[in-house]
Amino acid sequence: MNRVVKTLSAAVLVSVVALGFSGCKSAATPASGGAASTTPALANEPDVTFKDLQGNDVKLSGFKGKVVLVNFWGTWCEPCRGEIPILINLQQKYGARGFTLLGAATNDEEKTVDAFIHTTQFNVGGQQMTMNYPVVMGSDDISTKFGGLLGMPTSFLITRDGKIFKRYIGALTESQVVKDVESQL
Amino acid sequence: MRFASRIRRVLVLSALSLIMCAGGTPAQDSAPPKNPSEVVTTQSFVSLDAVPRGKEFQAAVVVKISTGYHMNSHKPSDSYLIPTTLTPQLPAGFTLAEAIYPDGRDVKFPFSPDKPLNVYSGSVTLRLRLTAADSAALGATAIPVTLRFQACNMSACLPPVKVPVSLQVRVVAAGAASHATHPEIFSAKSSN
Repeated sequence: MNRVVKTLSAAVLVSVVALGFSGCKSAATPASGGAASTTPALANEPDVTFKDLQGNDVKLSGFKGKVVLVNFWGTWCEPCRGEIPILINLQQKYGARGFTLLGAATNDEEKTVDAFIHTTQFNVGGQQMTMNYPVVMGSDDISTKFGGLLGMPTSFLITRDGKIFKRYIGALTESQVVKDVESQL
Repeated sequence: MRFASRIRRVLVLSALSLIMCAGGTPAQDSAPPKNPSEVVTTQSFVSLDAVPRGKEFQAAVVVKISTGYHMNSHKPSDSYLIPTTLTPQLPAGFTLAEAIYPDGRDVKFPFSPDKPLNVYSGSVTLRLRLTAADSAALGATAIPVTLRFQACNMSACLPPVKVPVSLQVRVVAAGAASHATHPEIFSAKSSN
């Protein structure tokens, strides 16, 4: 019986150690030490061209050299609106250090988005602010090139050389995204 | 006794490994939302087993929303939010008197802690008051209806979608026998 218990204990111990090293992760998340660990589907560099609110082309590749957080959102999406103060803050904090937000409005109309970004005030650390970063229009084709969107908001952190570092599904956690952005600057 | 203590140690280690696993799973990218078609199911009902020409009747679409999800009510909290609507594409001989939407519930969510949102969750019944005119074709007719909704869970939203629903109606001659069906849905007390 003692041998059985010893074997079982050893097996559990090995599992615990292995799990501790692996982080038990199945989703994209930076590995320890800040190195990028992306799921295979996200490893590619999305080659996309958005339209701005005036209908002009905005190529994602035009942002190469900057760290970009592409935020797929919608005026109709309350969790998307809830995280906008975090995004405004990120733009304020890191905009001068080679970072930019790029809001991609999805399932929306240009005129609705235009009115929203110019009139809706957000409480950012006690200060009322409108969105302070570029906003373009998303589309199903663009979403597909990012691997498809399962929900909104969905954000992608793009490295300076244009590769997807991480995908965030659902509302962002400020501490997490700050850590990720800083790791790329 | 020593055996019991070792078993206890094994159990503690097992629990530890599970805790480490749970803690190691990132909040982001771990539980993607479902597809809209998985979040909502619909079932349609008609208030009469046969609808005599010239008579008003009701149709209902019972919408079941998955646990953990909600959809905006017909009168959402602000103008940017997409209301739930039920729109019939009526064949010749049918008219819509009214679409009846239940009140939503004001609920606060983690992403909107200060401002409650007016939402439907669980099961919600949307009704239409319709009339079959004297010119309505006799026999079985399918009336297409479009349910439009936009659903969210506690942290993310699904895109707005339009789901087709079909109402099966049997039109009979004016004055022909007709019986009420589904009183649990159509009686005055059953509106939600």
